[in-house]
Amino acid sequence: MRSRRTEEQGEEEDINLTPMLDIVFIMLIFFIVTATFIREPGVDVLKPDAQKDARIPGVAVLVAVTEDNEIYIDGDQVEVHEVRPEVERLRTENPKGPVVIQADEEADTGVVVQVMNQVNATGARVSVSTKED
Amino acid sequence: MSRKLKKRQGDETEVNLTPMLDIVFIMLIFFIVTATFVREQGIDVTSPDKDQPPDQPDIVAIVVAVDPNNNIFVEEGGQLRQVDVRSVRANVARKLAENRESPVVVQAAETSDMGVVVRVMDQAKLARDNPPVPVSIATTEG
Repeated sequence: MRSRRTEEQGEEEDINLTPMLDIVFIMLIFFIVTATFIREPGVDVLKPDAQKDARIPGVAVLVAVTEDNEIYIDGDQVEVHEVRPEVERLRTENPKGPVVIQADEEADTGVVVQVMNQVNATGARVSVSTKED
Repeated sequence: MSRKLKKRQGDETEVNLTPMLDIVFIMLIFFIVTATFVREQGIDVTSPDKDQPPDQPDIVAIVVAVDPNNNIFVEEGGQLRQVDVRSVRANVARKLAENRESPVVVQAAETSDMGVVVRVMDQAKLARDNPPVPVSIATTEG
């Protein structure tokens, strides 16, 4: 494809912009639509190690239980009985996503099981987070 | 702004494309970069629904108990004390050999450490691969 140089003055774009814009916009819309924002608890816990753990895809809600048995959701500390409404509220954005409980190694099992029961009552799939391999 | 209509040959875009492209590309790069995939690994503890049929009388659950001091016990007539790691797995495997379908219940004291309970559950799951071992947690006072 030779560009005719006879009459061109100034700069004319040789690049056909329309297809490129098409592609760029579609990519942009794809990323916007598939971006689910994950609410981090805001607290780091020491996760126990396990061999039979599996990757949990599509997580959207994380609940953290620290070693002092404090429960954190989305950066706020909550009480045990508040876990269920909070999780239900957060799940509305991502109804099918599993809920992961990040329990510290030294958290009391009783508290974690209570949190588990609360989350189970919302109907979500629940998992306990373990150390990454 | 009155525009003088000049005769134009072909289509010339009036829209200034450069700023729009700038914005679009920056947004695109933002989303691509912030699309970090959350890598969570964990053990599934979803408890089965009420549609679970009641256990038949001859299916006895295998009980592994964890006391408030994180000692692990497997029932053996009376109760046996065990060490963590490999013993749990071997014991559960042995009991599963006797009773293929029994589920494993980890009876943990309320003040036991979750890390220990997770390890016990993990060990119980390792005892057999197919069919996978059903493991659940129950809490007891203490």
